[in-house]
Amino acid sequence: MPSTTAAAEKLLLQMVDDYTEREISPEDMPMDAAGDFPAGFMQKLTDTGFLGIMLPQEFGGAGFGPEVTAKALNHIARGNASTAVTLEGHFKTIDQILKFGTPALQKQLLPSANDRIFAFSMTEASGGSNPLGISSTATREGDHWVINGDKIMITNGGLAQVYCVLVKTAPKELSVFVVDQDMPGFSFGKREDFIGLSGTPVGEIVMDHIIVDDDHLLGKLGDGGIIGDSAHDDARILMGAVLTGIMEHELKIATDYAKERKAGDTPLTALQVTHRKVADIAMRKETTRLLYQNAAKLKAAGQPYSEEAAMAKAHGSRAAVSAGDDTLQILAGYGYSREYPVEHLIRDARAMEIAEGTVEKMRSAIATAEFNK
Amino acid sequence: MKIVVCIKQVPETNNVTIDPVTHNLDRRGLAGVMNPFDKNAIELALHLKDTATEDVQVALLTMGPDDYAESLREGMAMGADTGYLLSDRAFAGADTLATGYVIAQALKKIGDADLILFGRQAVDADTGQVGPIVAEFLHQPQITYAASLRLSGKNEVTAERLLEDTKQTLVAQLPAVVSVRSELNTPRYPTPRNIQLSFDKPLTVWHHDDLDLDDSRLGQAGSPTIVTKVYAPKPVKRELTPLTGTPSEAASQLIKALKGRQLI
Amino acid sequence: MSKPELWVIAERRLDHIEPTTQQLITKAKHLAGNAFHTVVILFEATNDHLEDELKPYGPDEIRVVRDDRFPTATDAEHADALEQLVHKYQPNSILFGATITGRSIAPRLQAKFQTGLTADCLDLRFDDDTLVATKPSYGDNIMCEIICPDHRPQMATVRPNTFVAETTTGDATVTTDTITFHPVDRLQVKAATPVVNTATTVGDATRVVALGRGAASAATIDTATQLAEKLGGRIGVSRPLTDQERFTHDDQIGQSGNTIHPELILNFGISGAVQYLVGMQDSQTIVAVNADKDAPIFDVADYGYVGDASAFMSALLDQFV
Repeated sequence: MPSTTAAAEKLLLQMVDDYTEREISPEDMPMDAAGDFPAGFMQKLTDTGFLGIMLPQEFGGAGFGPEVTAKALNHIARGNASTAVTLEGHFKTIDQILKFGTPALQKQLLPSANDRIFAFSMTEASGGSNPLGISSTATREGDHWVINGDKIMITNGGLAQVYCVLVKTAPKELSVFVVDQDMPGFSFGKREDFIGLSGTPVGEIVMDHIIVDDDHLLGKLGDGGIIGDSAHDDARILMGAVLTGIMEHELKIATDYAKERKAGDTPLTALQVTHRKVADIAMRKETTRLLYQNAAKLKAAGQPYSEEAAMAKAHGSRAAVSAGDDTLQILAGYGYSREYPVEHLIRDARAMEIAEGTVEKMRSAIATAEFNK
Repeated sequence: MKIVVCIKQVPETNNVTIDPVTHNLDRRGLAGVMNPFDKNAIELALHLKDTATEDVQVALLTMGPDDYAESLREGMAMGADTGYLLSDRAFAGADTLATGYVIAQALKKIGDADLILFGRQAVDADTGQVGPIVAEFLHQPQITYAASLRLSGKNEVTAERLLEDTKQTLVAQLPAVVSVRSELNTPRYPTPRNIQLSFDKPLTVWHHDDLDLDDSRLGQAGSPTIVTKVYAPKPVKRELTPLTGTPSEAASQLIKALKGRQLI
Repeated sequence: MSKPELWVIAERRLDHIEPTTQQLITKAKHLAGNAFHTVVILFEATNDHLEDELKPYGPDEIRVVRDDRFPTATDAEHADALEQLVHKYQPNSILFGATITGRSIAPRLQAKFQTGLTADCLDLRFDDDTLVATKPSYGDNIMCEIICPDHRPQMATVRPNTFVAETTTGDATVTTDTITFHPVDRLQVKAATPVVNTATTVGDATRVVALGRGAASAATIDTATQLAEKLGGRIGVSRPLTDQERFTHDDQIGQSGNTIHPELILNFGISGAVQYLVGMQDSQTIVAVNADKDAPIFDVADYGYVGDASAFMSALLDQFV
């Protein structure tokens, strides 16, 4: 008999596949057309326990490890990348609370992560990739902190109820606090009108004199940079998984179509030009899978995984865009039509060349890691 | 109240092929999953558990190789309390009769089941026979293909049964055997957490010696039916009967033909 | 020595005979030749005369057992009555319709005699006195031939509409018999009501009128609507017609729409692209009407008419009683 862990993984992925096929995948095209997920969708996702996949059992979650969690998002993304990215944003945030939060903060916050979405917010209008350029602040007043600032481009911004926010606690000191949408002074700003991942809200929060106690500080004062980097690393593994799912979807569309159609009297499957494109899509998908699973494995084993996570996302995002482009070309006119999801998969994949650190920034990180070896 | 749901594990798809040399079914690489219709039976049991005023214990029962434990776990992840796996080489090769016998003997050992539930049929063999066979062996009344079922009194259930063009309302004093239609409900998904927790629930494996069995009624030897030939059906190109003449003449030919086929 | 008996168990539907019974009588007669005595077993109330619906199909004998409790008898009570008759006559083989009723009673009888029962058969033949039953498995992807060599009676349930019922000349002998009705008090049929076909989608309908590009005018669609109503069915469409206001994707038949297998589908003005055919080719009876004699739809049809779809449809509607 397989081990309990393997058996649980199999059951989880089976359940994820079932739920994706019946409940998530059918919403993919409508979400893209409507620019949002339908009413009730998140509640069903919540009721089915998806928010707690990686949350430890002591907090009411399922407690699946990094490898299985990433695989679950990979499977979801086969049917709907937006939903997978929403969960990615939630999971990476939980991960930081688990890594840096005090036991008291974890006990206070995490049980609610089963039915409330969490988000991690760093970016401000002044620039996404330069943390010290932010202007949000937490200032000490008496025995508590007062937070002011404006965060944008937050994955799940507007949807999430709990936010980890990167703020300055001194001119050169970055720290992370946890705020809740119910706190006085908290409000939502505008939602971005993005070209892809339409089922994942991305938006703004405004913090106007939010008062929190010390217990809402994540990690120590000055840990903001480390926590932000860690959130990026965790997100990038999951994005590699999402991108793998997108490419599996693209590959299926390409092969299904090629098996059905002819160019003149020749089946598309007999054309070398099809072979080349399909093989390239398959190789891109498989390399991305190996990269994200390798990073997840290192993470599970407690080893460094920052560079590998960056590779999964940097490679996977361009790979998925290219694979989408090849799929579009195989489908030709149909590929260019909104009736088929190809063009929207390309738009979805394109987001991940930017989100959680641009591919340019990741290449710098990978190169720096190599120079330092 | 005790409910036992009898389930089966089936190949994940019905796309099986025939080995051209041995003429045996080639099921290599086909993972097993719980028979989808059985999930409706489990859902019914769990719904009764959720809504009844009394305590309801839901047990799952299956017969098959060790890997059938996966389906028991899945059912326990949905919310069933316990699982029983009847696993022994002696049970292999059983047809519906020999299967029904072992299941009935196991139900006697479990004891005191108020309600014994089955899915409408297994998607692989498509017989739906084991439920009624078990009911007969246990001398219990049966309600097959129930479209709805509720507890309507102490030890009493009321069910609707849909025949092809008739709806029956039946009232049964428990214990009884019920098989359910898939339209009855939408099975819940096992939540990720309950998947993990299901591994802490008791799963009992019974082998040959754990049950009171007459060996002559087991496995292949205890199965009256023999499969003599297995083949893939050739896609039959239909025999086209042309309708000819004016539209009116052709229409009358069609009406006659459809009447012959009892379609109108 | 008298011939071994081959039984067909008649099934009632409220106040008439379920058509599968008549189909089985015709098949049983073909199977029997001179080797078997074909007997229909009919349970009915004392004032019923359902045997009149069976006689035209010409079994050797219709054996009627009357009891006013039969119309609402439960599966176990039916199986008990059959058990008594089987003990008395020792039939070689028993055929049931693979209807819900047949599939519920037959296994109980099987268990009583610890014999073999083959479900949902698509073909039957005899090798000497051994019944060889062809049973589909794995969603009809695999066929199995199954025998029950050492136990009697041999039993099978047969899928409805597998065989075609044929009336014959010559009269069936009607005999009556008695059994002891053993009521099972723990289970009671409280009500039985007819269900009208309430198909709300083309996927649920047992009869479908399918329209394609060649039958897309408003007038033709009106005619088709009337025809569908008379048949107790629904309209389905091929993809081009989903653009029409009257239809939605839910009405579409084919790979990107519904996969259907109704008892009867009438295809009007549909050429039969592969994407369409995969969605309907498992229908039991397929009729195609198309102006193009080379249209692929004719390759999967049982009945075909080359000509104008609207004209044929109107003629069909006119002649419908």
